[in-house]
This record gives sequence, C-alpha cells and structure tokens, in this order.
Amino acid sequence: MDRLPDEALLSGLATGDPDLAVTFVRRFQHRVFGVAMAVTGDPQLAEDIAQQTFERAWRHAQIYDSRRGSVATWLTTIAHNLAIDAVRARRTEPVAPEDLDALLGVVTETPERWALADEASSRLRAALARLPREQARALVMAGIYGMTAQQIADAEGIPLGTAKTRIRAAMAKLRKTLASVRRGDHAE
Amino acid sequence: MPSDMSCEQLREASAELALGVLPGRERAEAIAHLDRCADCRQFIEPLCRVGERLIGLLPDQEPPLGFETRVVRRLTPDTTAHEGHGSARARGLGGRPVLARIGLAPAAVTLAALCGFAGWAVGTAIEDVTASAPAAPRGEPMLVGDMTSAADAGRSVGEVYAHPGRPGWIFMSVALDGAGRPYSGKVTCLLERSDGGTVRLGEFALREGQGDWGSTARVDSRGVSGARLVSPDGTVLATAHLQTGQVLTGTGQT
Repeated sequence: MDRLPDEALLSGLATGDPDLAVTFVRRFQHRVFGVAMAVTGDPQLAEDIAQQTFERAWRHAQIYDSRRGSVATWLTTIAHNLAIDAVRARRTEPVAPEDLDALLGVVTETPERWALADEASSRLRAALARLPREQARALVMAGIYGMTAQQIADAEGIPLGTAKTRIRAAMAKLRKTLASVRRGDHAE
Repeated sequence: MPSDMSCEQLREASAELALGVLPGRERAEAIAHLDRCADCRQFIEPLCRVGERLIGLLPDQEPPLGFETRVVRRLTPDTTAHEGHGSARARGLGGRPVLARIGLAPAAVTLAALCGFAGWAVGTAIEDVTASAPAAPRGEPMLVGDMTSAADAGRSVGEVYAHPGRPGWIFMSVALDGAGRPYSGKVTCLLERSDGGTVRLGEFALREGQGDWGSTARVDSRGVSGARLVSPDGTVLATAHLQTGQVLTGTGQT
C-alpha cells in the first residue's frame, strides 16, 4: 500500500478503509502541518487546520483533478486556504516583523537539504532571495500570509499604491524565473 | 453586477488576484473580465503557478504526537484508529461514504479553471462550484464501474476506478460478504479488453470477502471494457463493466 500512487490512494481514501487512511495521512502530514504552522505560527491551530485539510480531501476527493497539479499541491492549497481563513478570523495585529523575517529566511535558504528539490523550486528560492527586501516582504505577506495590499500598506507604513507595486514587481520577477525554467534556460 | 474592467486594469490587479488577496469587489470584476478575455486568461495563468510554487517552498514540519491517530479516527469514525500497519480491518461497503462519481461534470469557477488549485478557496469555492453557473467541465475522464457478484447476480459488491493517465493506475474496493461464507484468500484482478481478451494486473488478498487493492497499470480507456476478480481455481467472483465518466463534484455527498 505504501507504493500506491498518490492519486490511487486519494481515490481509495473515500472507501473508508483505515489502512488507506493511515497511509494517506502518513504520506502527507508533514507537508500539511508545515504549511499550517508557517501561516498560523500556532501549533494548536495548525493541528486543527491540518485535520480539517485531511477531512476536506477525504470529503472532496472526487473533484481532485491531476491535470491541475499533484495531490501534494492540492493538499497544500487546501491547508493554505484554511490557514489564511483561520488567521483572518483571528488576527488583529499585523504579522510580527520577526516572524516575517524568519519565514523569509526559510523560503529563501538554499542549504544542502534542498539539493534534491526540483529545479523550479530551487530557482524560485534563489530568485526570491535576490528580490529587494521590501518586495520580498510584500510578496510573502500577500502570498503566504494572505494579506491584502491595504493590510501590507498599513503594516509597512507605505501608500497603498506602493504596496501594490511591490507585489506586482516581485511577482513579475518570479514569473520570469519560472518561465526560464520551463524554457530550459540556465541563466536568467 | 460587476462593472467592466479593462485589460490594463486586469493586468495591474493580476498579481493580487493570482495570490488570492484581491478584495471582493475588484476580484468579482477581474473574474468577470477573465471569463470573456482569453488573452488575460493566458496572462494570469503563470502568475497563478508562481503563487502555487511559493506556498510549496514552505518547509515540512513534524506534527504533534498522536496527530496521525486523531486524523485517521476522524476519517474513519467507526473504526479504532491505529498507528501501526495492518491492524485495522476494512469496513464493509455499507459503512463507507457513498462515492458520487460517474456523471456529467458540473461547473468550474473561472479562476479555478485557470489557476489549477491556486484558484480554489477550498471550503468556500468548492461550495461555490456547484452553485455557480457552468463555465467549463472539471474533473478528468476515468474508467469507473460497480463490481457485481458473480454468485449473486446484480448485487453490488464493490467499485473499480481505473485512471488512463501516465502513470495509469487502478484501484478497487470489494466486499463479497453477502450470502454464504465469505471468501478469504488470494484473488487475481484481470482487466477485460474490448476485443474479448484479458490482461492480468495482479493479486491481492481478501479477508472474509473484503479487501482493497491498487496498483499502477497501463490503462487504455478505449481498449478496456471491464474488470474481473477470480479466485486461484479460476472461479469468477465478481465482474465490473467499466465506463468512461467524469468525476462528479463531491459537495454534500458525504
């Protein structure tokens, strides 16, 4: 059962078989919990979100479409959306500067443990690390913490237009990086 | 009713839209624009991939002790959850959620169609999917069929899913625990071809008539007509007629 492809495991999950459920959860729990923790920073809330993520996947397994991405990506997206919803419901203060800096450090680091990551991810990390700090912060606030441009403007003490420009500029650079990976370019 | 957004405005808002942080009204206007502008749809698609990839950079983390057990218990509420291998007994078909499947695929949300998973706000958008006007088919073609008992003609005893993609795979769930003594032992899964031939896919064990099994397999959706489960002495235990269908949205089915 450990060798079952992710897609088959997901289909089988709907049968209610506990062995399949264990295999499925074991395979993806670190990914799902990691995303929930990164967004919420709260282990208890992250656990709730991770549990909900698996329940959503179980309940909606029939609409998973492998043409849109892998099972891991699907679960990651579910966990991220649930985490942002939870944080939006709770957060009264903008994300703490030290949390943001720590997360930026994590998503831009390129240590040996990422050596086996796919090329697109490695190049994306490197491109993120090369962004001007203020653009990288805006991108992480929007893309990971789910903050609107207005919230970013308030948190950074900048005009709304500047926040929008930073997000747009950062996205354009990362888009270019991914496009170059697709084309097989080795230099950017 | 959203007002008309120009291509230029859409492109200015596209980064926020792709990251899911565009406020409600602007988002509605942007989606309405994308619905009718192929160029802008093409423009935003790679931005959605960036958003998806960005989340993918987040590190894995070890969940708290007992997490696996708690989740499995919620997914299979009538069983005793467990951490070890092979200690649980599969539920009968009667106890599991009904799989709504072969059907005509309903709607997709425009952004979901464009952005893959990044366009989903699962939990909100999934519910929206069924409520919104059909835009494009979602789900993917798959061969699906009900297993019926060979001994008790017509009685449903399981389900088969066969995915013709690459890698292709097959998954089946069987519960031959009706009349008489349920079969325990090895069974062989055969794919029936449209030309009358069969292809042996593999073996698995049934315990008291019950079992689930899956494997990677080459599945040609045009050349496969059914699946068959046979015991080692060649007795046909169950058969399934496979049909191509699109997976139906699961909202409210469980």
